[in-house]
Amino acid sequence: VFGLLLLAGIVGGELVKRMLNLPRIVGYMLTGLLLGASGLNLLDEPLVDESWIFLEIALGLVLFELGRRLHLDWLGNDRWLLATSLLECVLSFAFVYLALTAFGVTAIYATVAAAIGVSTSPAVVLLVAQELKAEGQVTERALNLTALNSVAAFVLATMLLAWIHHDYQAGWTMVVLHPVYLLSGSVVLGYGASAAAIVFSRLLGKHAERQFVMLIALIVLTIGAARMLELSVLLALLAFGVFSRNVDRRYDLMPVDLSSVGQIFYVVLFVVGGAKLQLTDLAAGGALGMVYVAARFIGKSIGVMALTPLSGVRPGTAGLLCIALTPMSGLALAMVHQTTTLYPDFGAQLATIVISAVLILELAGPIAVQYALKRAGEGRAEEK
Amino acid sequence: MTDMLFTGSKELSVGVELELQILNSRDYDLARDAADLIGLLEKTPPPGAVKPEITESMVEVNTSIHRTYDSLVAELKVIRDAVAQAARRLDLRIAGGGSHAFHMWADRRIYPTERFKNLLELYGYLAKQFTIFGQHVHIGCPDGDAAVYLTHILSRYVPHFIALSASSPFQQGEDTSYQSSRLNTVTAFPLSGQIPFVHSWSDFLAYFEKMRSYGIVESMKDFYWDIRPKPEYGTVEIRVFDTPLTVERAALLAVYAQALARHILMDRPLPPERDVYTLYNYNRFQACRYGLEGKLVDAYTRRTVSLREDLLDTVKLLASHSAALGNGGVLARLATDAEAGRTDAAWLRQAYKERKSLNDVARLQSEEWMGKAGAPS
Repeated sequence: VFGLLLLAGIVGGELVKRMLNLPRIVGYMLTGLLLGASGLNLLDEPLVDESWIFLEIALGLVLFELGRRLHLDWLGNDRWLLATSLLECVLSFAFVYLALTAFGVTAIYATVAAAIGVSTSPAVVLLVAQELKAEGQVTERALNLTALNSVAAFVLATMLLAWIHHDYQAGWTMVVLHPVYLLSGSVVLGYGASAAAIVFSRLLGKHAERQFVMLIALIVLTIGAARMLELSVLLALLAFGVFSRNVDRRYDLMPVDLSSVGQIFYVVLFVVGGAKLQLTDLAAGGALGMVYVAARFIGKSIGVMALTPLSGVRPGTAGLLCIALTPMSGLALAMVHQTTTLYPDFGAQLATIVISAVLILELAGPIAVQYALKRAGEGRAEEK
Repeated sequence: MTDMLFTGSKELSVGVELELQILNSRDYDLARDAADLIGLLEKTPPPGAVKPEITESMVEVNTSIHRTYDSLVAELKVIRDAVAQAARRLDLRIAGGGSHAFHMWADRRIYPTERFKNLLELYGYLAKQFTIFGQHVHIGCPDGDAAVYLTHILSRYVPHFIALSASSPFQQGEDTSYQSSRLNTVTAFPLSGQIPFVHSWSDFLAYFEKMRSYGIVESMKDFYWDIRPKPEYGTVEIRVFDTPLTVERAALLAVYAQALARHILMDRPLPPERDVYTLYNYNRFQACRYGLEGKLVDAYTRRTVSLREDLLDTVKLLASHSAALGNGGVLARLATDAEAGRTDAAWLRQAYKERKSLNDVARLQSEEWMGKAGAPS
């Protein structure tokens, strides 16, 4: 059955690519939607549950790759990019919070939902960029902004955990120590993994194939360690990526391309992602989901439009960046999931708000990113 | 025909054009951000000019007109720093060198202007393979006849220019075994080669008109010759140099050509000689393949000499001319490097030997060119 899932995903991806010229991941998701609970119901709950290891590795790879794209030197050389990121995060948080409370959502739910909305989907932006073999200012800036807002969303969501713990009358140690443990533990784990990668690469020498296998091994190992220690897999892998790009001052690590091995995991990620979506949620979240999506887009756009021109890029870049930052998906769901496991009651209520938004942006997001990157002329394929 | 009027310029002035590599900072492959980089530089323009080149991975910088090494190198440094700083704001890197070590030509994209699109239409894949990086040196000439004479005599010295500047040992991820592999790419173009064996500007114009009437060329730009007269600037343009790894080296090569031109125009040491062109391609190959270790068949003495010896003798001969131009002993540096075998091609091969990764070679190449310019303090 698992093989069928993969095969169906690949076929769906190709169909969507060839017939509609949309990103393959839209096809993967539609396949999932068709086979999943909302469609033929072929992908039942146990199968989806069994695939968690694939999902985890897929997200781990995505975040590692994204982390490697975050170039800290650049933030020093172009301070306006850093400023853009800060403003974009603050405004999208503020707009979503205000919009949701205006529609009568309780403050604590609105805050957590807003924090989750700060992040752009790393998987969607990275995979669409890889599919188009895109490079250029819109691509690189979108990836760096995505990495930064993912970090911001993580930190915010984790700090809010403290508040939730408090609300649920957990002990003081839980309120303070759990978020601190989660954040610092994940970062330390990521740093440790990158230090190990650098040491191993020095031993292995400059051989792309060996370094490739070594990195995959360390990624899987880090995922395992994060789960065992109940840390955030996502943050640990993102940190692993960031450190291995920015700490390796002797350039022992080679810039190996992991996308080939990633592909199989990404298909599973999006097919299962699609299968999990329940169209009934759309109706339930309905109007509120639309409000959420709109407020988030406006907040991000104001931030990006206000400061991006100061980076000295071509006119039009800012607008396309706004579009490229719209996707939400796996990461947001994972964050909802994190709270759901701790406090099922709280998670469920939050889920209805966020999931309908994710449903909209999961399908529209990849199309938006593809549009932005193609419009910027950054895809490799088209010769204009 | 007015475009072919030779507007004589200040004698023996010198100007430099450098084609530079735009790299990303991730794996140091060629990037495609020329338009953004040029756009950013337009906001605070450095001296000279910044122009697009045939693919989006290239940028060309031009100096203004100079007479001495000191003023030329000073301006080149200002331009370098401005370009480096703009590049860093876009997270790009800039490098010298005649070729990028491992880019794949099929990945290149043509810079979207009418002229470059037409070149792609005409030359097909050669247009993308033309993502190679050269230094052009302009020498000011008083009139067209002098320009034709200078072009013929400089042709004898083309192997010097090639061996001194050679910095393209790697292409498409492989060591080519050449010191300058870049010129092999130029040779593929139908209008590459040398000026016809004419003896005056009026004879040259007759040739040019003939080619224009056949519809083969529209302007001097269409001739990809190693050395060509440039009537609208009033210069002779030497185009065989690989872009060196540093601007200091670029200035040094330029004043070597300038001193040589002074010797040729003032002393008139040699008559134009058809055999220079008979032997031309072989001598050029020797310089590309072996650099200073190559052999040179001298069309005037009919003897085979070592390219390095010939160069060292010429540098000695030019001492007084270099001094008269206000460049004192700078050519001595060229001689010392040549004796020690210190060339950019050797530097690049050494970098590969030490690092065992062409990504690292490209990175070191960009660090060599940019220096600390534009880095956060």
